[in-house]
Amino acid sequence: MLISYNWLKEYTGDTTETAQQAADLLGAHSFEIEGLEEIKGDTIIEIDILPNRASDSLCHRGVARELATVTSVPLANDPLRNTPDLRALDTIEVSIKDVEACPRFTASLLTDVVVKESPDWLKERLESIGQRSINNIVDATNYVMFALGQPLHAYDADLFPQADGKWQLGVRYAVAGETVSLIAEGGKDEERIIELQGTELLIVDNSTNTPIGLAGVKGGRFAGVHAGTTKVIIEAAHFHPTITRKTARRLGIVIDASKRFENEPSRELPPYAQSDIITLITEIADGTYVGTTDVYLEKQKSVAVSVSTARVNSRLGLSLSTEDMAAILRRVGCDVTAAGEIMTATGPWERTDLLIEEDFIEEVGRIYGYEHIASVLPAVTTLESINKRHYYLELIRDFLIEQGFSEVITSSFRKKDDVQLKNALASDKSYLRSGLTTNIAEALEKNAGFTDLLGTGDTKIFEIGTVFYTENDVVTEHVSLAFGVRLKASGYSGKEDKIIQTVIAQLNDKMSADISFDIAKGIAECNITELLPSLPEVEAYAPVVPGKAIAYQSFSLFPSMSRDIAMWVQEGVTRTEVEQVLNDAVGSLCVRITFVDEFTKEGRTSLAFRLIFQSSTRTLTDGEVAGIMEAINNAVAEKDWEVR
Amino acid sequence: MIAEINSIFAEIGFTFAEGPEAETEHYNFDQLNVPKDHPSRDMQDTFWFKDSDVSEPTVLRTQTSPVQSRYMESHKPPIRIIVPGKVFRNEATDATHEAQFFQLEGLYVDKDVNLGHLKGTIEYFFGRFLGGDVEIRFRPGFFPFVEPGVEVDMKLLSGDSKLTGKWIEIMGAGMVHPNVLSRSGIDPAEYSGFAFGMGIDRLAVMKYGINDIRDLYTGDLRFVNQF
Repeated sequence: MLISYNWLKEYTGDTTETAQQAADLLGAHSFEIEGLEEIKGDTIIEIDILPNRASDSLCHRGVARELATVTSVPLANDPLRNTPDLRALDTIEVSIKDVEACPRFTASLLTDVVVKESPDWLKERLESIGQRSINNIVDATNYVMFALGQPLHAYDADLFPQADGKWQLGVRYAVAGETVSLIAEGGKDEERIIELQGTELLIVDNSTNTPIGLAGVKGGRFAGVHAGTTKVIIEAAHFHPTITRKTARRLGIVIDASKRFENEPSRELPPYAQSDIITLITEIADGTYVGTTDVYLEKQKSVAVSVSTARVNSRLGLSLSTEDMAAILRRVGCDVTAAGEIMTATGPWERTDLLIEEDFIEEVGRIYGYEHIASVLPAVTTLESINKRHYYLELIRDFLIEQGFSEVITSSFRKKDDVQLKNALASDKSYLRSGLTTNIAEALEKNAGFTDLLGTGDTKIFEIGTVFYTENDVVTEHVSLAFGVRLKASGYSGKEDKIIQTVIAQLNDKMSADISFDIAKGIAECNITELLPSLPEVEAYAPVVPGKAIAYQSFSLFPSMSRDIAMWVQEGVTRTEVEQVLNDAVGSLCVRITFVDEFTKEGRTSLAFRLIFQSSTRTLTDGEVAGIMEAINNAVAEKDWEVR
Repeated sequence: MIAEINSIFAEIGFTFAEGPEAETEHYNFDQLNVPKDHPSRDMQDTFWFKDSDVSEPTVLRTQTSPVQSRYMESHKPPIRIIVPGKVFRNEATDATHEAQFFQLEGLYVDKDVNLGHLKGTIEYFFGRFLGGDVEIRFRPGFFPFVEPGVEVDMKLLSGDSKLTGKWIEIMGAGMVHPNVLSRSGIDPAEYSGFAFGMGIDRLAVMKYGINDIRDLYTGDLRFVNQF
């Protein structure tokens, strides 16, 4: 969420902190800070509000209140602590069908309104957080939402039909097949008609039973405010967060209002939002306030929680006094009474997240500061048990790596197999692998072409992973081991199975076991889960050699080219010497020099090398590589070595 | 790398625990205090098995945390475990996110376990894993199965690697939520615990400076053979 620092100051008053300092404090004690940007004499702070704080802090007042807590300087102006001065109204009636879905609904009437451009200060406020100004009434609803976190909606009262001299608003579930016409995206003037399936909560014009908005999700086009509007009805309500979220998600409507309703701001909030918008419309649209209908069917209960100071300290690893803790909780806005080691704390009404003792422990910890918590290494104990699977898999891993195999991790998803997921990422990933053999075959195929680049003669890989299949119609899984060999880039040569057999024999030897593998075309696979019970119990892990320091390099996605060079050198010239000359001459596009062979004949030695060229930014051309080879040949000739 | 992680945690008494990748909704969500209507249970975020293939609602586990609950049900405190394992999220893949990745879970439950023990344990692990002095800091965080919840940052104090001297976000952690303890048969009035979870891929990225997480899962030896 974008927060304007100037806007925050409307609540905090003049601060001694710079925007950066304020953001740092909030980052350490309250929220996640994504970034800061200076715009036209203001600083915009991008804040990620944690899910448990989205009910009270998705707005400027909420963030300002948090800053006040952290800095211990009370807010200069707190709109949630001025009791709303609203008067009852008998010309708007609200009927709610489901109390749980909508426990509160308020609607205010203002007359003599002049719809026009918003004043500059308001436009600037909205623009600073990326909102477009539309007109003074719509802007007022947006402003109050970003100020207090309560979404609002404005209707033209003259376009809203009356029955018995009253406006009749209702909240009810949709009937399948009903339609509602919503405001188009980005304030465009076009119809967006949604057909409803019956699970959506609607706001309706009860006089005609017409759906006029998707409750909590998006307002409708019905009775929209326009340039000639003079009488407005302002709605501020509370809807069930799950109903809102499900409808919003299903229809793909995620807007500022729905995001707030989904996080369930306090149901105490609507009158405060009404109070603020009434003041605003009176100021910027010359409106005259008539009154407010407030239907509040199920009140928010305040929760008093018993907090043991011993427990606070024992969970946080601190040693604060009861007075210190009570003072911190009071800074948060809690009502606290302390009796000895027990405090009774009630959060401020807008903090609907403070419900159990641990919630208050967290408040004490984060406001006091987690930096005060000292590191304590738990007393060292002996291991309770050795993980047999891990022990044996490490044994197998080490063995296979010794044999020149590389471990791969392939995807658990496949295009077609036994177990299909209910919801897939993509059509080519909708099944789960039932074995590793197919994946190993694909990885061999893929890697067989890289042997030159990698400087490996053949391709040997293995994988250890979970596989899924149905057994008696129920999804079953086990850990599988598979390894495969490929001698030639062109494909399975027929000679691989022999190597596999040898490896299996050696493995069985090493483990004193008789593991049987399924072997197919140079790939062997076995069920580790099934095997484990038959293996001897273990008492200690084998020592682990700490990982060597590796500087990983990203690899090029462009094809490599290989060129061989062989030469006669004089007696006494070493391979290292030749490699040095080659190294100096090959240039940056040569990524690997592999020694191929060496033999001596008639007092002369022949050395052969394979050079691999590759660019990380483009595909190399034959000409380019030929040019480099020429330079290499020249360097070799200078040494009086004879290129063969 | 898992062997190295395990051996460091084994030094301070953390047992290697494991659980299934096809996990029931009960363990993956209910036992972890994830509300019934929580967005993470949606099809957009979690892979679900077909109802006809399972006896109760089952998902590809979205975290290694269900093992916490399984282990607590079958063991009495003191409990010290780590759980390395593959997890799945139904999200588009890019250079830093994969639909499947490896996570490392840690859990310590005993009398009077506090956030200081969490700090000490993480500091010890990273000091040994990265081979240098590290500093750990907590920031407020939120996960349904812990309260208080923290985001953990780490700074490598020694050496001259790319990581030295910079704060890096490494994991989410916190004190085990009392609902999680009591649902698993442990009395939260008597015991407390900390839990942490981090991407093992992230550890690899930190230790080796890998730039595209997807490379870990391609089975491409141009990548694999560097380790």
